[in-house]
Amino acid sequence: MFRNNGGGFVVAEFAIALPLLILLMYSLATVSVKIFSLGKGQLADYVLEAEAQYVMERITNIARTAREVEVLSGGKVKFVYHVVKDKNFSESTTLNGYRVFINNDVLETQYFMLYTKSGRSAPNLYAKRQNDGRYNNPMTGDNYFGDTKVNYLKCDVDEAKKILHVSLEMESLVTERKIKLNTAVYMPSYKAGG
Amino acid sequence: MNRFILSNERGFMLINVVFLTLITSFAAMILMNAAPRARNPQSTLRLTALCLANEQFAELESLAAHGDISGSQPFLGDNDDLTSNNLDARNPIEFKVTTTVSGNRAVVKVRWQVGDEEFEIETERTIGIVQE
Repeated sequence: MFRNNGGGFVVAEFAIALPLLILLMYSLATVSVKIFSLGKGQLADYVLEAEAQYVMERITNIARTAREVEVLSGGKVKFVYHVVKDKNFSESTTLNGYRVFINNDVLETQYFMLYTKSGRSAPNLYAKRQNDGRYNNPMTGDNYFGDTKVNYLKCDVDEAKKILHVSLEMESLVTERKIKLNTAVYMPSYKAGG
Repeated sequence: MNRFILSNERGFMLINVVFLTLITSFAAMILMNAAPRARNPQSTLRLTALCLANEQFAELESLAAHGDISGSQPFLGDNDDLTSNNLDARNPIEFKVTTTVSGNRAVVKVRWQVGDEEFEIETERTIGIVQE
């Protein structure tokens, strides 16, 4: 079968190198799987942190100018906030076909609500102008690099101090890591009872 | 004859050199790629601390609407917020908030400790009284 070359080099080569090669490739594969799963977890954690920060910033931004805050059942919060600060004028004019507010008291409504879409196991957070029961455009979740869920969003209003306390806990569905953020906003134009 | 015993195996020896170099360089690539990926949770804790500092600023603003806030202030927010499990559920982090107000300029420092290492963020803001 083999041509006798005098030393049996080919047989010796494969007898030693092949098991070594197999062992080396096996350990390399194990290490690479560990490294890539670590990277996957880190991406998922990054998405979790970024989404939690985004939700917190949106809520505190809107709460800052809020006039009414209403905590509804089922994980819903309703804000009515000023777009333009209140002055004595109450009319808008039309300029070049656009509506222009001149020191007008313009109020806008914003809902933040938790909702579990069909086909999902955990709730996402939605921001909407109306409480009409239709849910599209979630603020969180469905990210390619790691899906998340919102465990709770707690808003407490201290009417005497005009302070809104916000607690948000989110969890990554990939790594099951949790992030909880607490903050508070002072609402200078808040009026108790609307 | 013995002197030329390996002359027929040159091809194998060359292939050995090439393959072994490739395999070791692959191993080195994968392992060196892993080095900067060690988990560093400081950005999460910084974000938590920043939210805490904002909570203190909100309480200061609320307090300023009623009275004088100058001097150093204790943490005025919810004391449960000073403990965070964002690093790890088994390793809660305690935040320490110190506040000094001079004039209407408030400086809030948030400090925390992970293992033996100390971390700190310093935030500063003018606290004004909002007129209705």
